[in-house]
Amino acid sequence: MTEQEIIDTIDKVFEESFEIERKRLEPQAHIFNDLGLDSLDIVDLVVALQQSFGVKIRNEEGIRNIRTLQDLYQFIFTIKNAESNKNS
Amino acid sequence: MQLNRVVITGLGVVSPLGRDVNSLINGLEEGRSAVQHMDGWEQYTGLRSLVGAPAELQGEKQIPRQKRRTMGRMSIFAAQAADQALADSGIAVSEISSRKIGCIIGSTMGGAKSISDAFEIMLPEKDISQLNSSMFFQCMAHTAAANVAQYLGLDGYVMATSAACASSLQAIGTGYDLIRLGRQDILLCGGAEELHPTVTGSFDVLFATSVNYNQTPQKTPRPFDKDRDGLVCGEGSGIVVLEGYERAVRRKANIYAEIIGYSTAGSGEHVSQSNKQSMVHCMREALKDARVTTKEIDYISAHATATLQGDQAEAEAIRELFGASAPVSSLKGYIGHTLGASGVIEPIASLVMMEKGVLFPTLNLEHVSPECEGIFHVTKQTKMNVNILLKNCFAFGGINSALVCRKK
Repeated sequence: MTEQEIIDTIDKVFEESFEIERKRLEPQAHIFNDLGLDSLDIVDLVVALQQSFGVKIRNEEGIRNIRTLQDLYQFIFTIKNAESNKNS
Repeated sequence: MQLNRVVITGLGVVSPLGRDVNSLINGLEEGRSAVQHMDGWEQYTGLRSLVGAPAELQGEKQIPRQKRRTMGRMSIFAAQAADQALADSGIAVSEISSRKIGCIIGSTMGGAKSISDAFEIMLPEKDISQLNSSMFFQCMAHTAAANVAQYLGLDGYVMATSAACASSLQAIGTGYDLIRLGRQDILLCGGAEELHPTVTGSFDVLFATSVNYNQTPQKTPRPFDKDRDGLVCGEGSGIVVLEGYERAVRRKANIYAEIIGYSTAGSGEHVSQSNKQSMVHCMREALKDARVTTKEIDYISAHATATLQGDQAEAEAIRELFGASAPVSSLKGYIGHTLGASGVIEPIASLVMMEKGVLFPTLNLEHVSPECEGIFHVTKQTKMNVNILLKNCFAFGGINSALVCRKK
């Protein structure tokens, strides 16, 4: 999966699950302050990401440090990279 | 102690006949049945009843996402009915600062589809990690009340009366008591329920559903009829706005009716079998509370779901108290049994009937069953001045309730 495919997949989750228009999905957008997600949404975000990427991330420590969309993209890049390194 | 008088000043409905009060009334006026064959239900092994009265889910995106995400189908219906009822009453929640505006909204259970979905996600692998955050809020028994309160910003009482088919009549009755006592100023009362094969199935296993009309769905249910064979589940929501009479007069509100009597009581006999004597007791207590005699009742909106035993017990109970003096009809032939919502959707229709001076007949009642004779069945649309009406709800769990309203 390329980095752009990962970004597109994450953006699609925000569009479909949280009804946020794609033009608002700037990498620097703060997930809580700018995009308006709250604590319940974060639970759903994790579930949606697990389904979209076929990963288990509920108990990942790094998830607590995510603030912006860019942080989230980076978090998934790292997970997917680790996965492909493990498989190769 | 001086009790407040309680009046109804707003009505809202999402029913199988349409998404507002007018569509419901137009459907009744035209004698239209909303019962249909439920495609896809054949896949449930053992489910014999393949008919239902669905309501249309539409316009839900008008509810902001963060309010909507915890709403299943029934809570969306309830929120839409509450919006209508508030608009009809002319009350703006933001202008009520007393913290005495709340809601009491009952249902048999939480959202049936959400409960089914949650089990389907969780049980195959015994894995909860794919459950989303809103599932619990859609499944919980007070889902409609909690969601409507959050949606509208209600900060008074928030309660859910859960008594199967008596749920919403209990909600109205409880609201009546709370306003009578001065504990609340304004209450949105009613109920909601959703149609799902698991819901119909729960009646089907008890042999309480209609099974002989799967290919001619509009012929069923048939309350009080000799060819009735059981109930048909429906769905939707109804909400009425209750407030003190003085308050309503002060703000020049349109008053549909005054609630003058209410009773609810258990049969103490059997969890599912109807009990005539407990029905008689419940109606009698409601009349006593209203300080009216049986002769003063101009219309009885029957519970009559078209089960063999339930209709017989209700007809016998009405006959014992009223003889053939009060016109009786059941609206379930039009909209099916909306279960936890029936105790508010049917009174709403009855209040409009009262306003228009017309009685809608029991749809599909072609030949009164011998054991249901001896009461005044309304079999055709009839012009009649209705001053006082009685609404019955008799629920599984052996829970009865009855409400008396007087025209203003």
